[in-house]
Parts: sequence; C-alpha cells; structure tokens
Amino acid sequence: MSIVAHLPRRVLSLTEEEAANPPAMELTGRRKATGPEHELAETIFAEFRQDPRHHEFVLGCLNCGECTTGCPAARFYDFSPREMLQIAATGDATTLWDAMQEKIWACCQCYTCNMRCRFGNDIAGIISVMRELSVVHGLESTRKTLAPFGRSLTLLMTVGTQVSSDMIQPDFFRDWGPFATGSDKVWDVSSDVMRKAIPSDVLQTTRSSWEVSVQTSLELFRIYEETGVLDMLRGLDPDLTEMLIDIIEERREEFQDARGRFAKEIAAMRGPVASFTG
Amino acid sequence: MLSANEIRKVVAERTEHQKGTGKKVVDVREELDRLEDRGEVIVHRIRPANRPVPLTTLFGWTKQIPTDRLWHHKSCGQCGNIPGYPSSLLWLMNETGRTYLNEPHQTSCTAWNYHGTATSNPVALAAVAARNFHRAYETDHFPLIHCGTSFGDYKEMRKLLVENATVRTKVRDVLRKMGRDLVLPEEIVHYSEWVHAMAPEIVARKKHSLTGVVATVHEPCHYYKMVPEDAVYDDRVYAGQRPAVPSGILMELGATVADYSTWYDCCGFGFRHILSEREFSRSFANLRKIRPMVEEAHADVAITSDTGCVTTLDKSQWIGKTHGLPYMLPVLSDVQFAALALGAHPYKIAQVHWHSASAEALLTKMGIDWTSAKAEFREYLRSLKNGAAPELLHPAHGEIENYFAINKGQVLPEEVPAASRVPGATAPIVGGRSE
Amino acid sequence: MNPILVLGGGPAGLSAASELAALGAPTLLVERESYLGGNPVRWHYSLLAPDLRPAEEVIGALLERVEGDARIERRLSTTLTKAELGSHGYRVTLATADASETRDVAAVVLATGFDHFDSRRKFEYGYGRFPDVVDFKELEGMLHDNKLVRPSDGQRPHRIAWVLCVGSRDLQVGNPWCCRLGCVVSIKQAVEVRQKHPEVDAYIYYMDIRTYGLWEDLYWKSMQEYGIKFIRGRIGAVTLAEGGSRLLATGEDTILSRPTEVPFDMIVLASGMEASAGTKQVAELFGVPVGPEGFLTPRLTDLNPVDSGLPGVFLAGAATGPKAIPDAVTEGMGAALRAYQYARD
Repeated sequence: MSIVAHLPRRVLSLTEEEAANPPAMELTGRRKATGPEHELAETIFAEFRQDPRHHEFVLGCLNCGECTTGCPAARFYDFSPREMLQIAATGDATTLWDAMQEKIWACCQCYTCNMRCRFGNDIAGIISVMRELSVVHGLESTRKTLAPFGRSLTLLMTVGTQVSSDMIQPDFFRDWGPFATGSDKVWDVSSDVMRKAIPSDVLQTTRSSWEVSVQTSLELFRIYEETGVLDMLRGLDPDLTEMLIDIIEERREEFQDARGRFAKEIAAMRGPVASFTG
Repeated sequence: MLSANEIRKVVAERTEHQKGTGKKVVDVREELDRLEDRGEVIVHRIRPANRPVPLTTLFGWTKQIPTDRLWHHKSCGQCGNIPGYPSSLLWLMNETGRTYLNEPHQTSCTAWNYHGTATSNPVALAAVAARNFHRAYETDHFPLIHCGTSFGDYKEMRKLLVENATVRTKVRDVLRKMGRDLVLPEEIVHYSEWVHAMAPEIVARKKHSLTGVVATVHEPCHYYKMVPEDAVYDDRVYAGQRPAVPSGILMELGATVADYSTWYDCCGFGFRHILSEREFSRSFANLRKIRPMVEEAHADVAITSDTGCVTTLDKSQWIGKTHGLPYMLPVLSDVQFAALALGAHPYKIAQVHWHSASAEALLTKMGIDWTSAKAEFREYLRSLKNGAAPELLHPAHGEIENYFAINKGQVLPEEVPAASRVPGATAPIVGGRSE
Repeated sequence: MNPILVLGGGPAGLSAASELAALGAPTLLVERESYLGGNPVRWHYSLLAPDLRPAEEVIGALLERVEGDARIERRLSTTLTKAELGSHGYRVTLATADASETRDVAAVVLATGFDHFDSRRKFEYGYGRFPDVVDFKELEGMLHDNKLVRPSDGQRPHRIAWVLCVGSRDLQVGNPWCCRLGCVVSIKQAVEVRQKHPEVDAYIYYMDIRTYGLWEDLYWKSMQEYGIKFIRGRIGAVTLAEGGSRLLATGEDTILSRPTEVPFDMIVLASGMEASAGTKQVAELFGVPVGPEGFLTPRLTDLNPVDSGLPGVFLAGAATGPKAIPDAVTEGMGAALRAYQYARD
C-alpha cells in the first residue's frame, strides 16, 4: 500500500483561498494572526520594512551568536538579539508582532551586540525602531510595559529630565537600602535640607534633576509638538497627554506673566529671549 | 599585548577596507566644515580661550578637549540621585581655575527615555540635542557632557544631522520657530575626557596617597560602544586596548587599577530595567560585575564614569546580602575619587552619603579623617535646617533665570561675520562663576 | 638567460623554484627568513589535513628537490628593496642585514604568502591574557613535539575547545573573508589529539563547517570514529571559571537557541590568514593590484590565476588569497611555467 494514499488531501493540494493568496514564507505550525490583530500586524510590518533605518541597520547575519553571548538581557530573559535580527531580516508580520508583545522590551540598549557584530549590524538600533512602532500604534502590551513610567514621562515632557530626588521614595525603592534617598532618616533632616546641602543652586531642587527655566521647558515642549512625540504619547496614554498639555498651558501663562514683570530687562535683550513667546 | 600603534594600524586597515566596500567610517568633523561652507549649520568651534588639549581616539584621530569656558551639560541621573558627581566636577574646576556655566537653561538629552520607553524619535532627539548645543553656543561656552548616554546619543545625533538632509531641515525649522539655529559642536566632549586632559594639573594638587588602594574600573557602554571611533584611547592605558578614561586618572593618581574578567560587560542599568525590572538589574550588577571585582581583583572601590553605572552598581548591592552576596563595594565616579584624593570634603563636596555602599572604609584607607568631616557635615545640616544660607561652588542665579534663558551680551549667530562664524568677539557672560 | 627570481621560500615558492630548475632555467630563490619552508616550518606544523601525513614529509620532499639542485641559487635572510622594469625583465636590489646588491632577472614569481591573524586583536578571547588560550599554530607545535599540556601549569588538559573563524569572516577586525583552512585544520587537530590522548574531550564551536570537496570525509570521521563534539555557535567571551584555574567559555548554542557557559582546560583559536607583510611590500614595489582584502589580485582570476597582468610578474600561493598546500604547490608549477615562457620569449 502506498504511503501517499494515507496522507490527508489537504497536504497535497491548496484550498482555493490559499491558492489565491500564497504566503511569502509559511512556517509549519506557526501561529496565525486573524482579524483586526492581523491587519494591525500587517500595517506595522509594512511600516517597519519601509523605515529608512531598516535598510541601514540590518545588513545580513551569519547566525554566529556573538551578539547573544555578550547580551546582558539574554542571560536572564527569554531574549536573544540574534533572534531579533532574524525577525527583522527574514520575519513576517506575525513573527514581528509576537516579538513586539514582550521580547523587545528585554533589551538593555547597552550596544554590546553592535560592538561585537561581525556583520556590522545595528541590532540595538533596530530594536528601538520596533519599540517606537509599538508605541506609535499604542499596543496593549506596550501600554502595560510602560505603565510604571507615568511619573518619569511627566518629568521628561515638562522639564526634560527623567529623575528627581523625590521620585526615589523608600516605598518603591526598598531594595536600595536606607541610604538610597539621600539618607534623611540617617541624618535627621528633611530631603529638602539634604538637597540644600548640595553646593550648587541649580541642583537644590527635589522636583527635578535640576532647576529648569520656564523658557527651556516650553522650548522642549515645542520640540515634542513639532516632531510628533506628543502624538506618539497620545496613542500610548491619552489621559497623561491631556494632563501634560494642562501643565504646559499653566507654564505658558506663568511665562507670559513673567514677560510682563521683567519687561524692561527683556527689552534690552535680543535672540531667543526676545523672540520666543512660549 | 598589542601596542596602541598596532591597534591603530588594525583599525586604520579596517577603515580602509570599509572604504573598499563603500562603507568607510567617515570623520563627521570634516563633513561639518563642508556643511558650514554651504551655510547649512553653524559649527561651534573650540577657541584658544577654551585652552584645548589634544587627545587621541580609537581611530588615531586627534580630538581637541577644551579645558576652560565650559557649559555643563548635566546628567539627569547624576543630579537626581548622586549629586556628589556633578559637585565634585565643579569643585575640581574651581580648584584648577577653570571657568564654566552651570545653568537652569538645559534639558537632558532625553535618551534615557528613548532607550527605556521609545516614546521619542530620532528627529525629536536631534532637535533636543541641537537646542542644548545652540544654548551653549549663544553663551560662548563649550558644551561638556556629563553623561555617557548623552555623549553617545549626541554623537549619533550629530552624525544623523550631518548625514541626513531631511532630518537636518526638519530640526532647523523647529529651532528657528524658537529663535534658535542649527549649531553643531566641533567636538562632542565627555567630562571624563576633560579629566584625562587635566590629569597633570589634577595630580599636582593631590593631598592623599593612594598607595595600596585597589580600584576596578567599569567602562560605561555608551562611552565606547556607541560611535566607537570617537572614544579616547591612550598608549599608557592598557596599551591602548581599552578606553583611556576613566582608568588613566586613577593610574596617574597612584591607585592600583586591577583587571577582572567581565570588564567588558554592561552594568545592568538597562534604562527601563533600573526602574521597573530591578530584579534583573541587581542580579546582573551583583553577579557579573561586583562579584568578579571583589573576588578576582580584591577591589577597594569600583570606579566608573557614567550616571547609570554608578547608580546600578551602587544601589544594587544592599539587597545582595539576602542572596549571599554581602559585598558592599563602594562605587564612585572618577571625579568623586579624584576630588577626595585632592582633599575635597567627603560629605559637602563628594556627597558620599547619597551612595548605598558606604565609602567610609575606603576613606580611611585613603587617609581621610571622615569622622570629623561627618560631624562637621551634621552640624552644617543643622544650620541649614535653621535657615542658614548654603555654601555654593558658584554664585546663585537671579530670579529672572527661573523663567528666561537670558542673554547677557553674547554674540548671536546673525551678528557673526560669515567668514569667521565663531563666537567670542565680545566679553563673555557671567552665569556661574565666569569672569 | 638571466635567472628567474622566485620571492618566498614557502610551499608555492619551493614548488616554483624546483619546477623552473626542471625546465632548465637558472633560478634565484630569495627568502626573508633564515630558513626555507615558510609557515609550516616556522610554526612546526604537525600532521597535514586531510591525509594526516607529517608536514615534515611533505615540506621535506619539496626542500630536498630545491636544495639538491645546483641550478637554484638560494638567498636566505634576504629581502627585495627595489624593482625596476628593464627591457629584458627587472633590475632588482636585494638586501641582507649588512649588504645589498643589484641583480638583473628575466622574470619574477611572487610567492610571498600569508601571515596568521594575530589573535590578540580579538581581545574578547583573552589570548595573551590567559596562558591557556592558545592559537592553533601553537597547538601545532605542541602536537609536533608530542607535548600536549596547559601552558599555565604543565598539566594535560581534560577538555579542549576549538573556536573557528578567529580573525576571519569578521568586519570588526576588518577581515570579512574565509580562511578556507580553519575548519579542516581544527578538525584535524582534534582528531590528532583524540588519537594520541583518547581521554581528552574535544569540542568544536563553529558557524559553518567548510571542509569542502573530499575533505568532508575527515569531518564525518571526526564524529563517527573520534567522538568529537560540534556546537553550532560561537564563543563570544572567555573569562576565568570560579576558582580561577579553568577557562569559562561563554557562547550561544544557536541550534538550541540557548546560552552556554562551559569550563575548559584549554581553548584553541583558529586564527585566520592575512596577506603577509612581504606580500604587501612586493605589491608596492611592483605595483601589483591589491584587492580590498589586502591580497594580490591576478588579472584574470578564472582564466589565468597566476598572471599579475604586469610584464614578467607571476603569482603563486597564498599571496593571492588563503590557500592549502596542494593548491600552493600547483600554482607554483603554473607560475614557473608562465615565467619560463616569458623569459624565453
């Protein structure tokens, strides 16, 4: 009896639907995305391949594994820069979509893979491109991953620094030990006084890494508005974005008030001080 | 070991090869000149008033390090949780008679955020960089970058702005909307390069002997793995096989720099990880860095030259004892260590109390009387609590500067003759402790 | 007839010189080292792949032909410092440590060969830092002298790893080409080790195994008969294992997609092949075109791989790219014939 006779018909012939849409590269047993998820995955995949950085960062791969060898994330997560590069170079929409759910966030962005890569790929860079796309499209998994960053994103968007001494609270950073927050418990003074003991006025704040002038924050926010960062953030967290806009509106008013108060000094100056109106 | 010259030969061959395949690593500084000739960018040049010192990069290129009239591009992490880092650097500049601006008119590079959460894009990053560059330029002070990531990011952004006309146009448009223009510095300078260039002057002021002090160096990834051709190497440091900073200053100060097998590894910072995946950061820091430093090299101190690395290596150790890793190896920046060696106050200047792993045993080994310094600092805190004015390394800024990035007479781009578009014809500005 | 100059006394040069003598042409063989035989003699190669014949037998036969022939004038410890094209060949200047002389030659065979890649340049492997990380040319010497011991403590290693493609196929060191021999020589070494010391465990880390043509047989046998283990993936870093007396090789097993960390007593680096210093020098003296990899480029690599395209200059052996001894010997013969035809006409 011939073996072929026992094989299901499906293997020997394509369905009409399959014949009409032959897959570019079909992996046996691969998960198949369907419905709206499938459409979004296809859109992201197309945008990914069209990004000019794709061509520049992904050159080819010998699959030698040296990137993964030096990778700190590979040591503790189910993550491999080699796999990321393979997905970037040869993957299809579903494979990319799956990698973007979690794996891309394991990368430490240390660039060790780039410095080791025999082929000269920019692996850390292509992972950043994947991450950007996951933010732009507001993927649910990305929202979850970035949920703890509301505070630092607020600082970043409003004053352009990412950390402040009042962020480092013992409740959240318990594993850092009693000295982590400027050791006010040890020294018996408030964190404000601990900051006052730093010998530079711009460093004495607890609300930001350093004091940032209003003009500087408004210029920064203008950059975010003009370069699409605010829109990216809106896709990720619309509530946070509205709150940021409110904060900036207040700062703009504060800036206008100050223009009135310091009108005489400003009139004597030229350059951005004179022309920038918030 | 291969000599530095042999290494350079290798790298030169590599560049030549890349030329053969159309992928030569170009020196963007040469491109800068061409762009300036076409009126596309303004190049912020290093002038004699910056008292430059030439150093050598991995590719054997000369890199001018300005040592005076500097604009401090602070690091968000340093200032936020290890303030002894910037204050030690300012203190060293006062000691060596260097002038600078330390202003509130600076943003961070925002690359921590980009590498952590990707809520940005290259055009935004380039615009943020260029805004800071323009501010430094209009004050006629040369930018000095405190952070390894900012240093790497700014080199990437300068390259992007030089090579990509679309990004250049977009960024220029954004800047012009706020009365600024596209300025790119001739060199992107990391503060540790300033330290290396200043080594003779720093060493001449040494007060404490470092004989017997064993230091292990953690080389910050973003100092030399991003745009590697621009990192500084020196024949005298590991025969030019590893970056010259921050090892160079430790050797010059007389400490023993000890090697360990995982020197090449990252610290575990991970940008996102240090905030929301700390199990990873602390596992990596303890197992891959602190343990080999202590067990292989018997280090007294770990020295590094980036914010994230000090934070990760230092803060991760306290919890280590629950995992049988009870090391508590002090972790300092090169400038804190150098300032201490020069007699800086361990608490008022080096601010060692912000660190989790106590530096006190190290201070004893360095011959520093930290017990009386600590008592003095306690007294100082009490006086501050009672409303005394703080001691400052440079004059405080006036109220107007809470709002405005003021100009105090500096040269603006449109006033500079096209032929010599360099700042400096008029009297410099006073912000920090400049003349 | 003025003599025909053969530059380089390795396998290709020895073959060319003996062939020229056989054709009846006066031959001037110039070698910069104080001995003939090239890299196989310099590094005391042990057995040659794939037939496992002692290198001494193979090179010895070539040397015998050259040294026993009065028509071959041999000049050791001599370099070429100048070459000018004349109406009948070249006027060349030969220099030793303390003298130089000018000679007229009818034609030139460049057989200036290769240098092994200096493994210190790939510093992640710790060569030059950990004594038990050795280069495979050093292991050849150990096998040749029958002294397989760890340099650090003189003890017999229990477990050895070979790392292929060190300084080959790697843009980070500027060498993207394949050395063609690292695979077969490493496999041969592992076989030799297991023949002499069956108790030693042998692992080979590879990206691709290129035992091309009939050499594949040795690759198969190495597993089937000698139990050598192949791990697909590279060691990316060598550190000290806990305790400090063994090496720890960190890598990725790219078939299982998992990180590996294995302690070894000795790690052998299969260092690649680069154009030798002498090859680079003669390229400049004669103006022979050099490819992006640094090797001399024949005018027609397919139709006439031994013609440089310049009048009277012929090429043989590893000066034009990585090559095995049989290929170098064949090219030496071809270049001799072409040089002889040129000189005669």
